[in-house]
Amino acid sequence: MRRLALAAALLLVSVPVHAQQTHLLVVVGLGGDDAYRERFHGWASRLVDAATGRYGVPADNVRYLGEKPELDPERIADRSTRDNIEAAVRDVARRAGPADGVIIVLIGHGTARGEEARFNLPGPDMAPAEFVPLLDDISAQKVAFVNTASASGAFLEPLAAPDRTVITATGTAREQNETVFGGYFVEAFDGEDADLDKNGRVSILEAFQYASQEVERYYEDEGLLMTEHARLVDDWQGIGEPEAITEGAEVRVARSFFLTGQAGTGATTAAVTPELAALYQRRDSLETRVRELRAVEESLEPDEYERRLEDLLVEMGLVSRQIRELEGRP
Amino acid sequence: MSARRVVTGSGRVGRFCLAAVLVTAACDTAGAAQAPDDAAEAFRSGEYAQAISAYRSLVRSDAAPPGHHIGLVRALMAVGRYEDAEDAARDGVGRHGAELQGTLGRALDRQGKTHAAEAAFTAAIEGGATDANVARLDRALLDFRRGRHDEAMAEFDAFIDLYNDGLARSSEDLTAVATAVRHLGADDPDLFRDALRAYDEAVAADPWNHEARILTGELFLEKYNGPDAGAAFRDVLTVNPSHPDALVGLARLLRFDGESGVREALEQALQVNPGHVPGRVFLASLHLSAERYDQAQEEAERALEVNPASLEARSVLAAAHYLSGDTPRFEDVRRETFELNPRYAELLNTVADLAVDQRRYAQAVELAREAVSMDPQSWRGLGILGINLLRLGRVDESREALEKAFAGDPFNVWYKNTLDLLDTYDRYVTVETEHFAIFMRDDEADLLEPYATSVAEEAYARLVERYGYEPPTPVRLELYPSHADFSVRTAGLAGIGILGVSFGSVLAMDSPSARGIGEFNWGSTLWHELAHAFHLGMTEHRVPRWFSEGLAVREQRLARVGWGHQPDVAFLRAYDEGRLHPVSTLNDGFVRPSYPQQVVFSYYQASLVFEMIEAESGFEAVLAMLRGYRDGRQTEALVAEVLGMSMDALDERFDAFMQQRFGETLSAVRPRDLGPDPSRERLERHLADDPTDFTAHMILARLLVGEGAPEAAIPHLEAARELFPALGAPDGPSWQLGNIREELGDLDRAADEFRQAALRNEGHYAAGLEEARLRRELGDLDGAVEALDRAILVHPYEIEVHEDLAGMLAETGQWERAVRERKAVVALDPTDRAAALYQLARAHHMAGHTDEARRQVLEALEVAPSYDEALELLLEIRAGAGPRGKS
Repeated sequence: MRRLALAAALLLVSVPVHAQQTHLLVVVGLGGDDAYRERFHGWASRLVDAATGRYGVPADNVRYLGEKPELDPERIADRSTRDNIEAAVRDVARRAGPADGVIIVLIGHGTARGEEARFNLPGPDMAPAEFVPLLDDISAQKVAFVNTASASGAFLEPLAAPDRTVITATGTAREQNETVFGGYFVEAFDGEDADLDKNGRVSILEAFQYASQEVERYYEDEGLLMTEHARLVDDWQGIGEPEAITEGAEVRVARSFFLTGQAGTGATTAAVTPELAALYQRRDSLETRVRELRAVEESLEPDEYERRLEDLLVEMGLVSRQIRELEGRP
Repeated sequence: MSARRVVTGSGRVGRFCLAAVLVTAACDTAGAAQAPDDAAEAFRSGEYAQAISAYRSLVRSDAAPPGHHIGLVRALMAVGRYEDAEDAARDGVGRHGAELQGTLGRALDRQGKTHAAEAAFTAAIEGGATDANVARLDRALLDFRRGRHDEAMAEFDAFIDLYNDGLARSSEDLTAVATAVRHLGADDPDLFRDALRAYDEAVAADPWNHEARILTGELFLEKYNGPDAGAAFRDVLTVNPSHPDALVGLARLLRFDGESGVREALEQALQVNPGHVPGRVFLASLHLSAERYDQAQEEAERALEVNPASLEARSVLAAAHYLSGDTPRFEDVRRETFELNPRYAELLNTVADLAVDQRRYAQAVELAREAVSMDPQSWRGLGILGINLLRLGRVDESREALEKAFAGDPFNVWYKNTLDLLDTYDRYVTVETEHFAIFMRDDEADLLEPYATSVAEEAYARLVERYGYEPPTPVRLELYPSHADFSVRTAGLAGIGILGVSFGSVLAMDSPSARGIGEFNWGSTLWHELAHAFHLGMTEHRVPRWFSEGLAVREQRLARVGWGHQPDVAFLRAYDEGRLHPVSTLNDGFVRPSYPQQVVFSYYQASLVFEMIEAESGFEAVLAMLRGYRDGRQTEALVAEVLGMSMDALDERFDAFMQQRFGETLSAVRPRDLGPDPSRERLERHLADDPTDFTAHMILARLLVGEGAPEAAIPHLEAARELFPALGAPDGPSWQLGNIREELGDLDRAADEFRQAALRNEGHYAAGLEEARLRRELGDLDGAVEALDRAILVHPYEIEVHEDLAGMLAETGQWERAVRERKAVVALDPTDRAAALYQLARAHHMAGHTDEARRQVLEALEVAPSYDEALELLLEIRAGAGPRGKS
C-alpha cells in the first residue's frame, strides 16, 4: 500500500510536470502610425522572447502574426489578416493536447460602434463573434484569451466559456482611447515584479493583477482620468474587476495557468526525482492548508490563527529548504 | 446620513426678467424732459447735487405734490445731509401732512431720533398716507431694533396677509413685504425665498427701485451667495454708479470674495455720503481686521455721531474696545447697547466674528455662547459657535451647534460645507504621539504617520527650546488629502489659497496629496503652522498677523536650508520699486494686499524683519515683544521699548538692512531695456557693457542651450548665480547648470548644482531626485540618502523613491530608518505586496525588532505562502538567530 500510495502521488504530480505545454499566439493588429506600430511590435516581441526564453516555451509553440512581417521576419511568422488568424487558431487547436494551455494575445487598436466592437486588422477587422467558433474548437485544458486593445470590453461576455479565462484592457466597448494595459501585461512576464505569490511563476491571474494595478498607477502618476478599466472573466464565473479578485476568489483557470514550457516551479531544470516530487506534493498540500486556514481566519481567535499559520509556514519553510537543496538552488 | 442641501434662492429667472424690464422702462422714459422727471432722473443716476437743486426748485411751488418733497428728502439723505433732510421733511409735513410723515420718520431714524421717528411713522399710518405700509414696516423695524421682537414679528407677519390680500401693489409696498418676510425667515427659513420673490416683484413693478435691488443683494450676501449678490449690486451701479448703499454692498461683496477694490468702493461711498453709517461701520470692521484699533474706534464713533442709536456702530465700537483689551469700555458700550435693545445678541456675534479675524477663537466661542443664550434663535451665533469649536478641536460640540445653525439657516453654505466635511471624519484616524494628535485620512495615515510624527516632534522640541514655552498639548494636527476639504475646514468655502492654518493648538493643512508635486513642502508647512501655535499661545492670541507670519517663516528658514519663502526677482523688484510696505504698515500686506503677489512678498519680507532683529538685538528681543503682545501692548510701544526706536526708525533700519543684504542683487535684477526677444548678439554686446545684468545672463544662457551650445551657457549661468546667490526660483541657474553639467558628463559638479537648486527651493522635488541619482551613481550613498530624505517631504507618494532610499539605508546599515521607508512602501499599496512586506520584515529583523519582523513576515507569507526568502526569514526568526549579514 505504501508503494501504491506513493505511485499515485507521483502520478498526480507528474502529470502536470511533464505533460502540460503552453501554446502562445500573439496577434498585433493595425498600428495606424509608426509610433504605435513600433510600440505594439515592442510589446509583442518582449512577450514572445519571454515565452521562448525565460519560460522555455518551445519555439514551435509560439506564433506571432503582425501587421508588417517585414519589420521583424525572425519573429513575425505571417501577416495578421483575419484569414491568417483563423488559420493560426485552427492550427493551435489541432496541435494542443487536452492537458495543454493555449494563450491568445491581441495587441493593437479596437473600435466600436455602440456595443459592437472590432479588433482592427490589416484587411477585415474581427468581431468577438468571429472568435467564438475558433476558440470553441480548441480542446486544450485551459484557454486564455487576452485582448489588450481599446474597446476590448465587448469581447468579454461573448467569449466567456468554461475552462477559459478572458481578459480585456477595457471594461466596455465605450472605452475607446488608446490603452496601456498591453505593455504592463507583457511586463508581468518579462519583468521581475509580477510573481505576487512568490512561487517562482507568473500566472495569468498575476499578470492581470499586476497590469491592472500598474495601469491605475500610470494614470494616477500622469494625473489623467482613467480611460481603461481591465476586466477578467474566468471559467464563466462572471466578470470581475481587479479589486474583486481577492485571495479567496476562485479564478480557477487564471490562477493555475502559467506561461511555461513545462510545469513545476518554472524556474528549475532539475530532474524531478521521486523524493523531490514528494516534497512538491507536501509543499502544495501545506499551501492548500494555509489557504484553508485563511478562509476560516474570522472564526478563530487571532492568537490561535497566528499560531497555526506560523506552524504551517515553518513546516513549509523546512520543506522548501529541502526542495531547494535537491534542486541545487541556494 | 440623509443628504444635506443648501436652499438656494429662486431669483435667477426673476433676475433675468428684471433686466428686460429695466431696458423697457429705460426706453419708455427716454425723451421725457419735464423738470420733475429731470430731478427724478438725476436722483436715480446719482447726480445728487443736481437732484437736490432740481427738487428744491420744484418744492418752491405751492402746487408741488408730496412726491417732490419726498424726492428732496431722499436726495439729501443719499448724501448724508440728514438734518437738512429732516428740515425738508418737516416743511413737507407742514404742506402735505401725513403724506410726508413716513419720510420724516426715515430722516429722523437715520439720525437715531427713535422716538420722534416712531411718532412720525405712526402719524403716517394713522393719517392713511400713501406710504402707510412702508411706515408700518419702518415702525416694526424700529420695534425690532429696540428688542420688542414679539411685537415686531407680529407686524411683520401681517405683511403676509397684506400681500396675499393683494393690498401690496406698489413697488415700495412690495419691498416692505419682502423685508418683513425676510425678518420672518429667522423662524421659517423657507420665507427667505418668499422675500426674494417679493423683492423681485418690487423691482418688476418699478425697475428704478434701487432699494429693492440692494436689499436683494444684501440678502444673497448674507446667505453666502456672492454671484447673485454681485449681480444685484452691479445692476444698481450700472444705473447709478454713486449709490452709497450699492457701493457699500459691493465693498462687502469684494471682501467676501477676497478680491481687491474693497477700499475703493467704500471710499467712493463715503465720499458721496460721509454720514453713511453702514459704510463707516464696515470701514471700522476693516480697521479691526487689520488690527488698527484706534482707527476702528474713530470710525465707529463717527458713525455714532450720525446715528447714536445704531446698534451696528455700537457693536463694532464694542469690538474695537474688546480687541484692544479695553474691557471697561467694552462693558460700557455693551451695557448701553443692551439698554437700547436688551435682546441684541448681534453685538456679541459681531465682536465674536471680529475676534475670529484676530484668531481669538476661544473668546469667539465664549461670546457666541453668550449670544445664543440671549437669543436661542441666533443662527449666526450658533454658526460662530460651531465653526470656532471646531477650530478649538471640539468636534462633537461643534457638530451639535452647526446642526442647529443649519436647521435655522439652511441657506448657509459655510454650515453646510462644514457639516459635510464632518460627515467624512469617520474615514480619518488619529495617531497620538508625545505632543500631538495627528488626524489623517485612513488611506494615507500609514504612509504619513512616520514622517509627520518625526517632523512634528522635531519642530516641537526645537521651538520649545527656542521660545522657552510649551503650547497646550496635545497639538491637534489635521492633514487633509483634499484641498477643498482643508479649505472648508478653514474658511467654510472651497478655494482658499493657503496651505495650512493654525488655530492655536489646532493645526490644519493640506496633506501632500492635496497638491501637485513641488507645489509645497509639507514638512516645512507643518513647521510654519506649529510655530504659529507657539506665537498664539505665548501671546494669548494677541500677536499681530505680520509678526506671527514673519516669525513663522523665519522658523522655517532656520529649520532647514531652503525652507520657507525665498527671494526671487519679482520680490526684489517690488522692493526696489517701492511696492512693499514699510515694516510699520506691513500688516496691511497680509490683511489688505494691494496686488495679488503682495501677500507672498509680505511673508518673506516679514521673515527678514526678524532676521534683522535677531541679528541686531538677539532673539530675546523677539521674545520680549511676544510677551508684550500678551500683555496687550501694541507694536509701536513694543518697538520703542524693546528695540529702542520709533516705527519710522525701524522702517529706515529695515531699509538699510535690505540694501545691505541685497544691494548688488537689487541692481542686478533691475530691468534693462533690451527690447523684445533680444538676439544672442545683442545680449552679448549688452553684457560686455553691463556684465551685472542678471536677466540678460539668464536669457543668453537659455538661447545658447537652445542653439546646442550648453557649454557656452555655463559662464552666464555662473555669473547669474553669483549676481543672485539666494534666488529661490525652481528653474534658476543651479538647476540649469546641473542639467548642463550632467549632459557634459561632469556628474560630481552636476550633483552639487542639483543640491544647490534643492536647497534654494523647498519644493524642488526634481532637483532632489536628480541629486540622489547622481550621488548614488558616484557611490555617495550618504549624500543620496540626504537628497531623498528632502524629496520625500515634498512628495512622499512614489514607491520607487522609498525603495531606493530603503535600499541605500540598508546598504549603510541604517536599519531603523530603513524600516520607516519599508513601511512607506507597504502603505503605498505596491503591486508586489508580498515582497514589500518581506522587505519590511527583514528591515525589522535587522533592526532587532523581532516581534514586528515575525508579524510582517507572516503577513507576507499569507499573501505568498511559498515565498522562499520569507520562509527562510521566518525560520531564522524562529530559530532566534540574529540578523545575518549586513545587507
